[in-house]
Amino acid sequence: MRNVCIIAGGQSQWGVRNATQRDMFQEAGKACFDDNPAVTNKDIDGLIVGSAYTERCSFQTHLAPLVAEYLGIKPKNICARVELLCATGSSGIILAYAMIKSGEADVVMVVGGEKLYTPQKWEIGYSELASVDHDWDGAMGLGLPPSVFAAVAIQHMKLYGTTEEQMALVSVKNRRNGMNNVKGQFREEITLATAMEARAIVRPLKLYDCCPVTDGAAAVILAVEEKARYMTDKPLVYIRGTGQATLHNMSANFSNWTTWESLQIAAQQAYRKARIKPQDIDVAQTHDCFTISEIIEYEELGFCQKGEGGFFIQEGHSDFGGRVPVNTDGGLLSCGHPFAATGIRQATEIMRQLRGDAARQVEGARIGLTHNLSGFIAAHTVVIYGRDLE
Amino acid sequence: MNSVLEGKYAVTMDMYPLQSKDFNRIYPFYDNLKQGRLTTTRCLRCAKVAFPPRVVCPDCLSDTLEWVDLPTRGKVLVVTEEEVGVPLGFETPLIHALIDLDGSLTLFARVINCKMGDLQEGDQVKLVIFSVDPLPVEGKKGAVILQERVFFAFEKAYPQE
Ligand SMILES: [Zn+2]
Repeated sequence: MRNVCIIAGGQSQWGVRNATQRDMFQEAGKACFDDNPAVTNKDIDGLIVGSAYTERCSFQTHLAPLVAEYLGIKPKNICARVELLCATGSSGIILAYAMIKSGEADVVMVVGGEKLYTPQKWEIGYSELASVDHDWDGAMGLGLPPSVFAAVAIQHMKLYGTTEEQMALVSVKNRRNGMNNVKGQFREEITLATAMEARAIVRPLKLYDCCPVTDGAAAVILAVEEKARYMTDKPLVYIRGTGQATLHNMSANFSNWTTWESLQIAAQQAYRKARIKPQDIDVAQTHDCFTISEIIEYEELGFCQKGEGGFFIQEGHSDFGGRVPVNTDGGLLSCGHPFAATGIRQATEIMRQLRGDAARQVEGARIGLTHNLSGFIAAHTVVIYGRDLE
Repeated sequence: MNSVLEGKYAVTMDMYPLQSKDFNRIYPFYDNLKQGRLTTTRCLRCAKVAFPPRVVCPDCLSDTLEWVDLPTRGKVLVVTEEEVGVPLGFETPLIHALIDLDGSLTLFARVINCKMGDLQEGDQVKLVIFSVDPLPVEGKKGAVILQERVFFAFEKAYPQE
């Protein structure tokens, strides 16, 4: 099997954009190529495009050939779209990795993006009803709802003594880290008091506990090691291992709301393939769609014991200088969350951290991890990157 | 009659499925619901009771299934009250509860006819059925057939009920 490297990454401006989906795909593609002038659109032999709401919000299918044409790419080995809602981007990366590893392609670009703001403001919340089991959870008014994560938080607080203040500390940290991403949606620090006193969305979740709705796109390029060697003058960053697991889709079949077993499985698979342990991770980008998510992710990824996620943030273990800095570019809470672009943004930040050229650097980082959850906490996706193969 | 001009275009993308025999193989669920029954499918080969109802058993893959009744009363395990960003077509606050249906199923479901702060952990709730906007479907020779639809939620139950 061949080794696979990530050799470029970039993103469009994220936020509430005066731009179409195709405008932002072009911006992301350019930012990615600009990140590494040694690789051009003529070098790409595979293109994987992700978008979750392309039909609903942009009325566009057959998206990959459209993006190929706009970016001047003429793929010869793969040109297709992938969708796994919030984990669309990292799913595209896993598929590109598998194609390169197996010899089906050599240099694959993965692009993901969403145009979520439409002229009718009500549309986005309504469109989200398509994201769960539409005929059942959708009909209950559950889209990608904070109420689900509020129910998770209530149970985690009751079982493990996690506090609203510990959750607020996640948003304070990620807002501070968001200053590191010039293309993120929010770039203002908040205080613990601001987070604690914000208006309720669904108690105990308040405004800053929830990631925003975001327009944006991001892109990365993966290449087989032999080509990567002359396609970049920066240190090589390898994909070391991947894992993706799902045990249920609909709320009625979600057996344990505070122990995310499918994340444990996905993480174990990725650690096993990468031949590392959780303690080996130097930097991580995890899916902080809500603050409680990041706290549970510390636990299921093995950064701390089950139930101790609240203490992990409180004691600064997930901050710069801590055991494993998490969401060093601000995460979803600061950068925003254009579903299909998020995993790609995370991969770009990990690539930079491991190359040593991040906006704010975790000194000496050699192993990094990305994680996404998607749907009704239904699927979990983990990718491990490393400067070394062993 | 053109459904686009009737202002019904968005209905084709709304949150409720088409429920009649012409469109949906699990139509008995909705027929039973109209009679106040919450039902689902049970596998005649392996006895697996699955929810939501299916046309194929998710355990043994048999397609020989029967309809069985689920409890219509349950106990509230967790309450959430959504105060901001409720989807179009739902009331604010939008209240959901994790409901234990007598040990047979745990549902995260909408609770209606309920004010903010009224529903508490440990409360009893019972099934409530409501009609939803009928959907016009184009039939032969320009005929428009209104597809009646229903759905369910829960409401607070009191011990004397
Ligand atoms: Zn069966």
